[in-house]
Amino acid sequence: MDADSDVALDILITNVVCVFRTRCHLNLRKIALEGANVIYKRDVGKVLMKLRKPRITATIWSSGKIICTGATSEEEAKFGARRLARSLQKLGFQVIFTDFKVVNVLAVCNMPFEIRLPEFTKNNRPHASYEPELHPAVCYRIKSLRATLQIFSTGSITVTGILLYRYQTCQLWIE
Amino acid sequence: MGDFSQEGDRLSRVPGPPQTAPWNPEGDAERLWNSALQEPHLDALPRVTCPNHPDAILVEDYRAGDMICPECGLVVGDRVIDVGSEWRTFSNDKATKDPSRVGDSQNPLLSDGDLSTMIGKGTGAASFDEFGNSKYQNRRTMSSSDRAMMNAFKEITTMADRINLPRNIVDRTNNLFKQVYEQKSLKGRANDAIASACLYIACRQEGVPRTFKEICAVSRISKKEIGRCFKLILKALETSVDLITTGDFMSRFCSNLCLPKQVQMAATHIARKAVELDLVPGRSPISVAAAAIYMASQASAEKRTQKEIGDIAGVADVTIRQSYRLIYPRAPDLFPTDFKFDTPVDKLPQL
Repeated sequence: MDADSDVALDILITNVVCVFRTRCHLNLRKIALEGANVIYKRDVGKVLMKLRKPRITATIWSSGKIICTGATSEEEAKFGARRLARSLQKLGFQVIFTDFKVVNVLAVCNMPFEIRLPEFTKNNRPHASYEPELHPAVCYRIKSLRATLQIFSTGSITVTGILLYRYQTCQLWIE
Repeated sequence: MGDFSQEGDRLSRVPGPPQTAPWNPEGDAERLWNSALQEPHLDALPRVTCPNHPDAILVEDYRAGDMICPECGLVVGDRVIDVGSEWRTFSNDKATKDPSRVGDSQNPLLSDGDLSTMIGKGTGAASFDEFGNSKYQNRRTMSSSDRAMMNAFKEITTMADRINLPRNIVDRTNNLFKQVYEQKSLKGRANDAIASACLYIACRQEGVPRTFKEICAVSRISKKEIGRCFKLILKALETSVDLITTGDFMSRFCSNLCLPKQVQMAATHIARKAVELDLVPGRSPISVAAAAIYMASQASAEKRTQKEIGDIAGVADVTIRQSYRLIYPRAPDLFPTDFKFDTPVDKLPQL
């Protein structure tokens, strides 16, 4: 548990979730009929559009709010979102790209050692919560960074949170 | 006894100290009344004092309804309401009817204020009108503020009854539920879900945890919802619970499988050793316990199949198989040293 091996560990961002707004009402039916690579979920009232280039899945609501998931980095998320807005513009809607915000970032990292979960929970009482019947990982919440780590016994850790630099600090948190 | 004055017959029952002053009820009362009038600003209640000894603290004789001055034995106040019981119950009487009780033995700790009266359903012919409906159907809406809470308590008692939980766990559950209910942070959730989660937490806190699946079996709520409510309640009440260990469930599972004591002790030993040696990282303690029971039962005369054990423990038999595969290589180390093997260790089934 020395600091050197911690910094040398690579942490991969697997998913970036972002939202943005087009300041106009979108006709879902039109998008569903004319757009490429779309799935129309009529019961819920949204359209899923999948892009290939930055591999992104976007959930489009008729109010103009769009949620974009699947990007590997923040810039990619922004590219994908803009590309999406462009394709909606081509369909004829007066799209204005506003309020782009990254909502959640998910990253995984791997510890080279296994972790003993019951002892870990006992040492980190208020932050860690472990329920073996419900989920095989320890859920460790860092309030100051507003991040949640899921720690598995194999040593792999899933980090979810908002800002990017927090991952490095999360790293150094781990013992 | 003393030398009583016979002027007030009710009060001459006093068996206390003799009265030295002649008892003058009218005079005394007037004097008390005047003294009370003269000092109205001192306190709200008129304080009675003995006229001869104003500093003496009066002794209350509740059985006779008097307040007596201890110095001179003068009866100063009278007609104090008797708070003793109206009836006397003897031990050979039927215990069902106790004329001293006037209300139900509800606990005012849990529901706020239990002085409501419910009108019961009528018995006898006069209480039904011509169609067979009962007259006076309205026996509801009595304690509306805690209606949901009382409903939940009833539900909790029913659930606990199904798995034969003792009264102390039920009381603890009721207390937890009351705390959660008053906090109102989980107000949107179904009361039954919160009740089930409280039951789970209470069992945990008392040191006899029940698995989520066991609670699920007596409740109509899904395991996912109970789990969610469980986490929310822990956050709302800011408590935490201890981790479950394999030993907590051994006695229950083994008794349900009718396994003898040696097998149970062996299984407990195996499971504990397995966890110590960290042979089963990341496996739920229930699965490890089930695998340990399987191994112990297979090594003894009382063999149980994986399916039977899985049925009792609520784990799938493939899960038992997985955990068993993990502990099988170290089987000789895991058994207790004084265990009598019916099937030797090398002949244990390998799955």
